[in-house]
Amino acid sequence: MIAACVKWVAGVPEPGDERFAGISAADQAAVELALRHGASMGDDVVVVTAGPPAAERALREALAAGATRAVRVDLPADATSSDVATALAGVVGDAAFVWCGDYSTDRGSGSVPAFLAAERSARQALGAVAVDLADGATISVTRRLDGGRREVSTVSAPAVVSVEGAVARLRRAGLAGVLAARTAPIEVRRPAVVVPDVAAIVHAYRPRARTLPPPHGSTLDRLRELTDAAAAPAHGETVHLDPADAADRILTALRAWSYLT
Amino acid sequence: MDDEPDVDVIVVGGGPAGACAALVAARAGLSTVLLERGPFPGSKNMYGGVVYPRILDRLIPNWWETAPIQRWVTRRSTMVLTDTQALTVDYRTEAWGKPPYNGATAYRPDFDHWLAGHAEAAGAQLVCDTTAVGLLRGASGRIVGVRTDRPGGDLRARVVIACDGVNSFLAKEAGLFEHTDAKHYTLGVKETLALPKEVIDERFGVRGREGVDIEMIGCTSGVNGGGFLYTNLDSVAVGVVLKLPKLAAQQLRPEEIIARMKRHPAIAPLIEGADLKEYSAHLIPEAGLAMMPKMTTDGMLVAGDAAALCLAAGIWLEGVNFAMASGMYAGEAVVEAVRNGDVGVEGLAGYQRRLSETFVLKDHRRLRRAPEIVLSDRVQHLYPAMVAGIAERMFQVDNPAPKPRLRTILKQERKRVGIRRRDLARDGLDGLRTFG
Amino acid sequence: MSDEWPQVSFEDRMSTVEFRVHERAHIVVDGAKCADCSTRACVVACPANLFVPTSDGGIVFNYEQCFECGTCYMVCNEEGAISWSYPEGGFGVVFRRT
Ligand SMILES: Cc1cc2nc3c(=O)[nH]c(=O)nc-3n(C[C@H](O)[C@H](O)[C@H](O)COP(=O)(O)OP(=O)(O)OC[C@H]3O[C@@H](n4cnc5c(N)ncnc54)[C@H](O)[C@@H]3O)c2cc1C
Ligand code: SF4
Ligand code: SF4
Repeated sequence: MIAACVKWVAGVPEPGDERFAGISAADQAAVELALRHGASMGDDVVVVTAGPPAAERALREALAAGATRAVRVDLPADATSSDVATALAGVVGDAAFVWCGDYSTDRGSGSVPAFLAAERSARQALGAVAVDLADGATISVTRRLDGGRREVSTVSAPAVVSVEGAVARLRRAGLAGVLAARTAPIEVRRPAVVVPDVAAIVHAYRPRARTLPPPHGSTLDRLRELTDAAAAPAHGETVHLDPADAADRILTALRAWSYLT
Repeated sequence: MDDEPDVDVIVVGGGPAGACAALVAARAGLSTVLLERGPFPGSKNMYGGVVYPRILDRLIPNWWETAPIQRWVTRRSTMVLTDTQALTVDYRTEAWGKPPYNGATAYRPDFDHWLAGHAEAAGAQLVCDTTAVGLLRGASGRIVGVRTDRPGGDLRARVVIACDGVNSFLAKEAGLFEHTDAKHYTLGVKETLALPKEVIDERFGVRGREGVDIEMIGCTSGVNGGGFLYTNLDSVAVGVVLKLPKLAAQQLRPEEIIARMKRHPAIAPLIEGADLKEYSAHLIPEAGLAMMPKMTTDGMLVAGDAAALCLAAGIWLEGVNFAMASGMYAGEAVVEAVRNGDVGVEGLAGYQRRLSETFVLKDHRRLRRAPEIVLSDRVQHLYPAMVAGIAERMFQVDNPAPKPRLRTILKQERKRVGIRRRDLARDGLDGLRTFG
Repeated sequence: MSDEWPQVSFEDRMSTVEFRVHERAHIVVDGAKCADCSTRACVVACPANLFVPTSDGGIVFNYEQCFECGTCYMVCNEEGAISWSYPEGGFGVVFRRT
């Protein structure tokens, strides 16, 4: 089974207006890749969302485009990323690959795919800018690194892959598909009640507040002290050495003054 | 077998005509697909701003309880403008502010969406994001469906109801229009301007949900047409309609013509300080009977603006009610035809009959010459100056000179503006015959 | 008449409208035909100001911010200069308050 997870975002930029609600371009790309992946593997494609009933429109669009099955986990729109991931994991448990969008239209942090991978102990390849489905069993994913560099890695099942919107454009659903999807069944699941495992809760480290002595002297003086070039240690000394030693000395000095690393 | 229908009825266009047609067909139990090219019904639709929904009494009882209305029009003004003058006929009534109401301002993306929702609730299958790009014909030439722009996009039906609006490529493809001519169309451009509700209430002298409808002539910088100003809850709609050939033959762009109208001393104070929220444009089929197509062909009917049923006779700008009514009658005729097993021109004759027997064609017949009169050069460019001049001189106190006789003023103003007596008499008679 | 009407630039005017732009142009203008056109009716009439005359007598057209109104093909002077169609379903102009 191949899965795609999408997030329904109610009303962008007009909140609460279902006419302007939808899923992000990245989620659409995820659905498209799941469909291609499913087709290449001859496998079922399940599309999942955790959200309110209105979100079923996105599922119907995915069904119209060719998804085999659609599941909605009934969660309020403001559920936390980890609850959403837990809910999704309950549905996509044994999928070989799970495709997600890298961000959702409400500027999500993109953390759901990571939570989801952790939840399933699956491999993760997040933020893909290009994808090669290759033979389907092992796919290759290109990701952005700093300085315009790219990293290409191969990923095999089980894996969670999140993609950017530009990776693929969701195909235009055929008319028959659209008509059939209007009445296709959508499985609705209640989320398992999430009971927090108290022992396992990790608290973030936050340094305790410390009392510091009040500043001394006038503000101006303190500023001068911090910024006055005259007060700064002067670099420079006169030495007499032969050229090779002089060169070494210069380099040592530059390092000491942090002009070189 | 190729002609085997997928559904009973395809309605193309989720505007008011299409929504009512689909509602009636679906309610009668016919399998009905309603195609809309926009992402939701109303997303492509723009108009001046006032609907007259009384025809909905028959389809959606107590429609006013749920319709997305901005304000109920209780005050209606007609203004005749020259560059510096304004003569206003202003009517207001409490009655229009209570059920069953008269006119109402509404945004089309809201209203059309709401109306199509009723069609869906009646069982019509609304399919958005889908453009009908052509007609399918059977062996006999009969229309048997439409081609859409989706993959595998052919859809077959017993009957197609084309409610695809003013450009109706379907009615044209079906050969229902003999010819189309730019002179039968006007371009409407409009600005939706935000103003706080209290400011609108104060400037327009209304309260609560009461609203104002102002129609203007003489404000379109010499391009034949007219202007309008409508109040929404916290915005006003200001726009002009412009006769296409006249617009094309001069130098001012549409938004400049609006800008000039907005600077008129009678208009400027009403909209001062308002921010532009949305700019929009759309064509209007303006010529009424003079441009109407044949309403049916084998397997297809045409309704609403697609059939040029908009009544745009100067101070009347009613299209939504004509669209809703014609859509409804088209739906009724189709139900009848499908039940009788004859969806050819003969079988669909109930449509033309309903149009003829009701306000749809009765109003058009009565006001047959109105568009031509109201958009004529004399009415557009000379009469505003004449009537404004007459009013000015009647109400001006020029002591010690005594008040002039009305007859004298009339004669002098007519001459000043340059209208021949013969033309004035003829236009007066025409006007009486048309509007009287 | 007040001269102090705050002018909205045409760009700002168009930025009040949502357009879901498709990669394929739904209207195509044949520049060769425009070269012979004497009226340039589209230039003044298009409410979105999408027809821009060039110094060499041609027309530059951009389909992206189009109202899909139909004015241009109706007023066009030269048979066949404009190929006009609707954008693919779901794309193009989306009104909200009109
Ligand atoms: C500036 C202006 C001011 C107006 N003022 C008023 C007013 O104040 N009051 C009033 O009552 N009327 C007014 N009208 C007229 C009114 O807007 C129209 O008469 C009315 O909208 C007609 O309704 P309709 O359903 O026939 O067409 P439309 O409302 O145009 O609906 C047609 C529908 O079909 C869809 N469509 C078109 N082609 C296709 C296709 N090929 N495939 C799928 N879908 C398609 C469109 O997206 C649209 O939703 C005004 C019009 C304008 C332009
Ligand atoms: S009116 Fe037609 S032919 Fe003339 S410039 Fe415009 S598009 Fe070209
Ligand atoms: S359809 Fe209307 S908005 Fe679009 S290019 Fe033509 S005239 Fe301009």
